Amino acid sequence: MQRRLNFSLLLAAVIVAFSAPTVSAAELDEKRIGAISQNCSIIKERLRRIESAGARSRVYLGTQYESIYSGLMSNLSLRLMRNGIANQDIANQQATFKSERERFRNDFIGYSQELKNLIAMDCKNEPKKFYKQLKKTRTKREDISKSIQRMNDIISGHRQTVQSLRDNTKKDNK
Amino acid sequence: MNAEENKDKKPIRGGRNLVLLGVGAIAIALITTSISLYFYSKGDIYIDRSRPGYISEDEVRQADDDYQEKYSDEGDITDDSLSEYLEELDRVTERIESSQNDFGPDPLSDDSLMITPDDD
Repeated sequence: MQRRLNFSLLLAAVIVAFSAPTVSAAELDEKRIGAISQNCSIIKERLRRIESAGARSRVYLGTQYESIYSGLMSNLSLRLMRNGIANQDIANQQATFKSERERFRNDFIGYSQELKNLIAMDCKNEPKKFYKQLKKTRTKREDISKSIQRMNDIISGHRQTVQSLRDNTKKDNK
Repeated sequence: MNAEENKDKKPIRGGRNLVLLGVGAIAIALITTSISLYFYSKGDIYIDRSRPGYISEDEVRQADDDYQEKYSDEGDITDDSLSEYLEELDRVTERIESSQNDFGPDPLSDDSLMITPDDD
């Protein structure tokens, strides 16, 4: 009897633990949806500004990446080759940087498309759909952020490679 | 004879034809506009120069000219030439760092978009 009571109490505790956060999250979502309907025009105006700022940042970052790829990495590889120095690390970094730059470009197009769809939605009358699309847009924006981080990692690794190459050249000259 | 012929002829319903013409024209306009909007949103929007946020090729080129770092592909590989390379790389990296948080989560957060419930 005691064992059965203990089991029932444990079961009740598990049910409460798992159901309580779900209910509050659903309630919170309901409140958010109400706020979307209420502030629809302000939200749209902010999204348009985010769209415009994002387009400018994309051009700016794209220019810097192009500068690193075409103006620096490619020319360094060529110069190394002309001097008969083979450096596989630099060749790999150049190739990875090129493909990651392409991924950044595609990630931005994907994000831009989702943001455009979000702005076109009727947030006043269809707030639930709007919130769902907003979550989708956030994920796409996160993809760009991750892509930027990966580009930074490649640049940082490339810097270290060139630095050790310079240190070795210094040693060889002594 | 003439009176009988006139009796057999059906009366021309000008009003009805006019309404049909109007409805037909509206239907054709709706169909063609929908097709155009479909293609526009699928890809043409990216080459639309009048859309908000569009940045012209001239602006892009200007940005390219302003910030193009160039390392010569000719010359010896010495510690000085590699130091010069690293300096140029650092200049671009600094510029990237100033924009690396441009796609952070904050602008699309509930707080920034004012979709946090009032009583939270």
